[in-house]
Amino acid sequence: MTSAEVHSLVGAYALDAVDDLERAAFERHMAGCAACRNELDELRETAARMADSTWSVPPPGLRTEVMAAIGRTRQLPPADLGGQGAGDRPSRWRRYTVAAAAAVVLAAGTGATVYAIQDQRVRDQSAIATAARQYEARTRDILSAPDVVFRTSPMRGGGKVTVASSASRDAGVVLLGADVAPAGDRAFQLWAIRGNTPTTAGVLAAGEASAVRIVDGLPGSDGLGVTLEPAGGSATPTQPLVAQVPLV
Amino acid sequence: MTEYGAARRPDHLSAVPAPPADVGELLRATARGDEAAFARLYDLVAPRVYGLIRRVLRDPAQAEEVAQEVLVEVWRTAARYDPARGSATAWVFTIAHRRAVDRVRAEQASADRTMKVGVASVETPYDEVVDEVSGRLERQQVRHCMDDLTELQRQAVTLAYYQGHSYREVADLLGTPLPTVKTRMRDGLIRLRDCLGVEVTA
Repeated sequence: MTSAEVHSLVGAYALDAVDDLERAAFERHMAGCAACRNELDELRETAARMADSTWSVPPPGLRTEVMAAIGRTRQLPPADLGGQGAGDRPSRWRRYTVAAAAAVVLAAGTGATVYAIQDQRVRDQSAIATAARQYEARTRDILSAPDVVFRTSPMRGGGKVTVASSASRDAGVVLLGADVAPAGDRAFQLWAIRGNTPTTAGVLAAGEASAVRIVDGLPGSDGLGVTLEPAGGSATPTQPLVAQVPLV
Repeated sequence: MTEYGAARRPDHLSAVPAPPADVGELLRATARGDEAAFARLYDLVAPRVYGLIRRVLRDPAQAEEVAQEVLVEVWRTAARYDPARGSATAWVFTIAHRRAVDRVRAEQASADRTMKVGVASVETPYDEVVDEVSGRLERQQVRHCMDDLTELQRQAVTLAYYQGHSYREVADLLGTPLPTVKTRMRDGLIRLRDCLGVEVTA
């Protein structure tokens, strides 16, 4: 393979879609090309972001097993050549450390160029994406809290509401999925119920049938209620409740 | 080891932290043998590590096994993480994806993958919640940017990443010439990178 042919594998390599021979050829090629490494780093970072959408609650026993296993697993030192992390040879990591300063200079230039040619549409999407990522990260943090408790109740008219509540995060995540969307001028509203007092915990968009919402302070409540209200929400809940999830 | 480890990673090279906790900090503490830091790191990354592996392998039991290997590997090789080359989160998922793909290839070699996939439909009660969450969050961001790719770019990238296919298999599946598939994987990722605003060492 020519150098250009090898380099054209960068996308496939970042996606782990090459065979062993190609992998070796590509890694040799990269060792002598700082710009290639930077492209690879960015594409690999991008590929890894695709894991954002693969969130899945691990089996309950996994944490215990992993914690037990690390207790009997010796760690590799930073510059040891004796072992190998999946996908990355120690020799490479060490070489990159040496080359890091040069790579940073190159990266700064590349990043600036990339930004200069981005059109407004992409910039807008990035801003939306960043906000979504922060909300998503917080959602994941609550859902993966060690003390998270899941409770589900059916919705009147079909569908269900699941509440994941974590005392340690002092917040809950409400996952609402109605089989039937409200009319265009109506909206679902969430209520944190303490004793007999409901406090609004957010209003969905008019006509919205499903949503994932973070509710701060939810673990102090006795339950979560859902009502159907005029678009924009109401000050007090309109009876009857569409769903009620007890939290105690 | 601690001082050496700190000295070779200047602060200005630190990867962008993922809110709300900093995976990079936890990984550095893990490299110093801090089991409590690793436990926190576990809580932050395990759902995505398990989810990714499960998505590629489709078999919950195998996914659990591989996820355990990956997470122990993260503990074992934490000191090898180099922030100049990307975020700590990406480093973890790179290991996870590679291990998942290795397992797929090994399975193919033993030709029983189809059977395993057939058995995979047994769901745990957790999965109900999981599918709800991932189904909706998915639409928010990566999916959002994915919509911006051409059909061929999207197919090439997702068949490789989420299903563990090699680019040759992807070319076969799509009936597209090999060089085209290679190119679409590369320019598809570049477009995704720009949409997500991914930068390394910025």
